[in-house]
Amino acid sequence: MARFNNDQVSGAVWIAVGIAIALGSLRYGLGPLESPGTGFLPFWAGGIIAFLALIGVIQSSLSRRRGTGWRPILRGVLWHKPLIVVAALFAYALLMKPLGFVLCTVLFIGFLLRAVEPQPWSVVIVGAIGTALGAFALFNLWLKAQLPLGPWGF
Amino acid sequence: MDYVQSILLGFQVALQWNNLLFCFIGVVIGTLVGVLPGLGPVAAISLLLPTTFHVTPVSAIIMLAGIYYGAMYGGSTTSILVNIPGEAASVVTCLDGYQMARRGRAGPALGISAFASFIAGTIGVVGLMLIAPPLAEMALKFGPPEYFSLMIMGLTILTFLASGPMWKALLMAAFGLFLGSIGLDSMTASARFTMDIVELSDGIGMVPAVMGLFGISEVLLNVEHSIRRSVFETKIRHLLPTFQDWKDSIGAIFRGTFIGFFLGVLPGGGAVISSFVSYAVEKKVSKTPERFGTGLIQGVAGPEAANNAATGGAFIPLLTLGIPANAVMAILLGSMMIHGMQPGPMLVQEQPGLFWGAVTSMYIGNAMLLILNLPLIGLWVRILKVPYPILFPLILLFCLIGAYSLNNSVIEVLIMVGFGLLGYLFKKFDYEAAPLILALVLGPMLEAALRRSLLLSAGSPLIFFTRPISGVLMLISLILLAYPLVPWLRRKRAILPQVSDEE
Repeated sequence: MARFNNDQVSGAVWIAVGIAIALGSLRYGLGPLESPGTGFLPFWAGGIIAFLALIGVIQSSLSRRRGTGWRPILRGVLWHKPLIVVAALFAYALLMKPLGFVLCTVLFIGFLLRAVEPQPWSVVIVGAIGTALGAFALFNLWLKAQLPLGPWGF
Repeated sequence: MDYVQSILLGFQVALQWNNLLFCFIGVVIGTLVGVLPGLGPVAAISLLLPTTFHVTPVSAIIMLAGIYYGAMYGGSTTSILVNIPGEAASVVTCLDGYQMARRGRAGPALGISAFASFIAGTIGVVGLMLIAPPLAEMALKFGPPEYFSLMIMGLTILTFLASGPMWKALLMAAFGLFLGSIGLDSMTASARFTMDIVELSDGIGMVPAVMGLFGISEVLLNVEHSIRRSVFETKIRHLLPTFQDWKDSIGAIFRGTFIGFFLGVLPGGGAVISSFVSYAVEKKVSKTPERFGTGLIQGVAGPEAANNAATGGAFIPLLTLGIPANAVMAILLGSMMIHGMQPGPMLVQEQPGLFWGAVTSMYIGNAMLLILNLPLIGLWVRILKVPYPILFPLILLFCLIGAYSLNNSVIEVLIMVGFGLLGYLFKKFDYEAAPLILALVLGPMLEAALRRSLLLSAGSPLIFFTRPISGVLMLISLILLAYPLVPWLRRKRAILPQVSDEE
């Protein structure tokens, strides 16, 4: 990886994304210029993405020669913490319907309070239950937001 | 309908108790969002958008607008007391505001920032009232080519002003246009890139995209560091600035107001840019520019006036042309559409109550903010002391509820989390999300205008250049795009401040 700098890597990814979009648009039909088809705009958007990314790769290759190297994006940071948060978010999205809003929220808030920067258990328990009930009252009861109810009715 | 009648109608609407309540809720939430670092007005408005589905359109707009200008007020408190900008437009306020606090002058710094915000916010609203109706009348002459060129110009200006290489900002705008094209084609009703997911037929929602890119990604970036915030421990006294303070800062306030308002009107401009420009101007006109950064009151008054005046200015393109000037306005546009309104030149004529009600509520909101920000400063300081590890789960929960309650769909939540990850990577690789959001919102409108124009001209793209208004707008865009070839313009862009992407 260190053979390339950040812009070279991200530029290469964008070239692939742009080409994929442009090719994907072809099946919707570009249409004639006087009556552009469904694929017209995404095709050009994809083409422009690939073109701009190519410019970026060329520019960053030139700056690589001048010494701009790979800048580690995870060095010096607690990278496992964002990972925990993302995992918790996905779990929440998948469990909120089967478990219901209140229980799912208690588990979600409790987990984050304890796992990311550990808080005392008293804060975790009171914070998780209080937040879940408060949010349920605010959004479901007052603002009628129709949050999912679990098999136990809350 | 003349101005006096219009203003009276506006106050009649804005002073209804429910609208007053929503205005109050909006400015309180706005101040709170501004005070709390890591949660900007873009994320806050997206979060609260679903809560407005059950109220009248005018109340919804009044509240959402209140959040925007309220955040500009609140942001300065954190800048002055913690040296961390509460939101992006208050970055510059840190420079002299925090130094004033360190010298025991936190009170006058907070006071002048509130007064400057009030004066500029009020003048901004007056400007909005005077300019919007004639501009709306002129905009009636706009056809699809003019709209297309105007949107292209907005995107070009935003990418021009973005920090970092221009190819990155343009690339993000192009990616936003692609994302905006996902869903049913508005002309043929055939599905595009929906992958047979029903929720994608209506396109990628702006709310999950914004909350992911700005809310979730910000949390992900914050939790990877152990955050220890220390509020400057000082007794906050003498909030009312002295005569000398006023003398030093009144010029800065009016210059900041002027700069902020006109940069706010410009599509792609806005509060962040105008606060930086105002600071630069103050330094330029000062007899002692070397003292900036050591606690000069002008360095607080000018930028704070600029970012508040910009909020009034930013409403002009939205309400008169239906074109959002920045990411916050893009969300407001989306929310107006959800409420069945089409912002644009007809809005003033067809829904005068809504237009003037929203505008006059900003006067009232500005007065409320002055009251909230001066006597209640102690409360905001106490909120600042809430540790981030306790705060961030709440921010995430609001994002989750906001995304889910749009359509009661888990898919929207997953889209938001996906955008959160994407936003995190964008920040790691220095890509700005603001052009993406603006393009995502403008995408469907831009595509419709492009296709209609080409139909009108039997396929000739020259239509964008041969019609006078459209031609001028395209010319401006081309000049900005050609900047790498023009040395003095390139130098000008190089000195533009590195701004955060949350506008």
